[in-house]
Amino acid sequence: MNYKLTISWLYPDLMSTYGDRGNVICLLKRCQWRGIEAEIIPISLNLNNEKLGSSDLIFMGGAQDRQQSIAGEDFIVKKGPVLKNLIEKGVPGLFVCAAYQAIGNYYKPYTGDDIAGLGIFDLYTKHPGDQAKRLIGNAAAELNSKFKIPNTIVGFENHGGRTHLGKGVKPFARVIRGFGNNGEDGYEGAVYKNCIGSYFHGPILPKNPRLTDWLISRALVIKYRKNVELTSLSDEMEWQAHEFMLKRLGIKSLQ
Amino acid sequence: MIIPLIIIAKIVSFVSRVFNIGMGGTWPGEIALRLKPDILSILIHNIKEGVIFISGTNGKTTTTHLLKAILEKDGKKVIINKSGANLVNGVVSALLTECDFFGKLKADYAVFEVDENLLPEVLKSVKFLKLKMIIVLLNLFRDQLDRYGEVDVIAQKWTKALQSLDSGATLILNSDDPQIAYLGIKSRAKVRSFGLSDNKDFVIKKEHATDSTYCPKCGHGLSYDGIFFSHLGIWKCFNCSFIRPKPEIISNLPILSGKYNKYNTFAAVLAARECNVDAEKIKSALKEFKPAFGRQEEFTIQGKKIKVLLSKNPVGFNESLKTVINGGARNLLIILNDRIPDGRDVSWIWDVDFEMIPESVSMVVSGDRVYDMALRIKYSKSQILNPKSQINPKSANQNILIEPNLKKALEIAIKGIDFGDMLYILPTYSAMLDVRQLLTGSRRL
Repeated sequence: MNYKLTISWLYPDLMSTYGDRGNVICLLKRCQWRGIEAEIIPISLNLNNEKLGSSDLIFMGGAQDRQQSIAGEDFIVKKGPVLKNLIEKGVPGLFVCAAYQAIGNYYKPYTGDDIAGLGIFDLYTKHPGDQAKRLIGNAAAELNSKFKIPNTIVGFENHGGRTHLGKGVKPFARVIRGFGNNGEDGYEGAVYKNCIGSYFHGPILPKNPRLTDWLISRALVIKYRKNVELTSLSDEMEWQAHEFMLKRLGIKSLQ
Repeated sequence: MIIPLIIIAKIVSFVSRVFNIGMGGTWPGEIALRLKPDILSILIHNIKEGVIFISGTNGKTTTTHLLKAILEKDGKKVIINKSGANLVNGVVSALLTECDFFGKLKADYAVFEVDENLLPEVLKSVKFLKLKMIIVLLNLFRDQLDRYGEVDVIAQKWTKALQSLDSGATLILNSDDPQIAYLGIKSRAKVRSFGLSDNKDFVIKKEHATDSTYCPKCGHGLSYDGIFFSHLGIWKCFNCSFIRPKPEIISNLPILSGKYNKYNTFAAVLAARECNVDAEKIKSALKEFKPAFGRQEEFTIQGKKIKVLLSKNPVGFNESLKTVINGGARNLLIILNDRIPDGRDVSWIWDVDFEMIPESVSMVVSGDRVYDMALRIKYSKSQILNPKSQINPKSANQNILIEPNLKKALEIAIKGIDFGDMLYILPTYSAMLDVRQLLTGSRRL
């Protein structure tokens, strides 16, 4: 059987700051190398809005403040209801950094009013003030057992906001090195249904191939309503890069 | 008293030169600044005619050297800071190295490249300068977000710093970069604009590494008649009618290869015009110009030719790749480090269009983050790539070699090319210093 996935990339022109394109390239290639047809649909302010509803997988990345505020209203008003519907149906997604904050309940800047989020993920983010340290550096975490893939994830984080999870979401991973959501409670990212929010870029997917395959696999299950066995790929280079970072951070491999 | 301070600084500078430790560009200044924080404004007033500051993400070093060459052709004595030593301590070091024991300088002009993040600080410390002051702003691209923060934050800082300039200063601005052009309308200083105008330089497809396609004035999307690279192009805003300022006409000049070198040359030419250098002298200086180290610098090792192109951020890397591919490159050595001068975060390599590298090109990758670079290249290929332990020029598809040890990587890469063929090396900043040390035996710039 020929499988086909439509991958929606939200705001590639506005919200793609820390090599986020790498996540999309990675999803695309790992489908193509297995003979799964994959198409990337760029969706922006006035681009391809009508196509969002037919996404099989969603990606949205980080942004600078100005770009984020340009996207803000459009995201809540135009994309919000469609995204909500998709995510509730189980369509998988990956929301990194600013996107992760934006699908939460609200963002509290250190001056001015709260900025509403989409409210799909039960979490909020607070900026502790312009004197507070940004949370920057290489990081590693252990994935939530929900993923059933025993695995570390590695990445690079760079964020000012501190995110706190509510009861409606599960943590995505537990921090081994680095800061994660807020540098305090030891959690990194959040999971709701088949959607992941994370502060890890680097970008996150290339060096964490099992995570990429988990997203592809969930997308196929939701679309075709059956388990589709993914052909295994030679991931030697991926693991070399992954292990290198674990070693650099002084962590024993969990593989 | 300034004399003891100068003596200390000169000793430090001498010692670092003699022992070849390559810190002479920043240490003397750092020590002097600790002892006398206002030393910059004291020393700089000894310059006779004028001071030129050059900032921007890409092109600072080349533009500084171009302008120095032109001014020297005009018979002027020029001080510059060492490339990369572009923080305040580097600027002070340059002045300390050149001055006599009483702090007197025999220079007509000082041309300083200034780190984009520190431009406001430098401008503040020369606020009451009685000399001609020229500020050249080249571009703002994404670079080292972990260290510098976002492009917009820098643009805001610059706007603020430039607002306090008096009308005696001159700004030389890149009109093709909307954020740079916008600085001109926010400042009282005299503005001169440079930009490309040849439609042949347009790229058809908009590249990925785009930072600023929204109007800096009103936030509306900008319309482009054409793009030269990244977000540089002929643009206008239909919402608030902010348009690209018309650049001054500059034609008929010899220019280094690469579109970005057109920008660097045009910026240097406008600064030279502002210093009243006549056209003939500008032209002959450019004709004789030799690139700064690591910027298309050429070496011959064991009878084989090597060219080094510093590639430190997505836009710079894309331009390097285009330049070498258009030049028919068949052999690349790509070196990715993640030390502080490179930026600790290497995610930017995913914004570089490695997809443009033809299948027939042989690549050796090295550096601190060799595996990240190899992985990026793997995902730029349509075929699944397997790393090999030996270069085999006959197999066209899978010629990438991973070698974490830079010395070995360089040896393998040199061995892999034929006599008369060229090895192109694309390193990040600290990698460029390392590879240069291996090629010349010196870290000094």
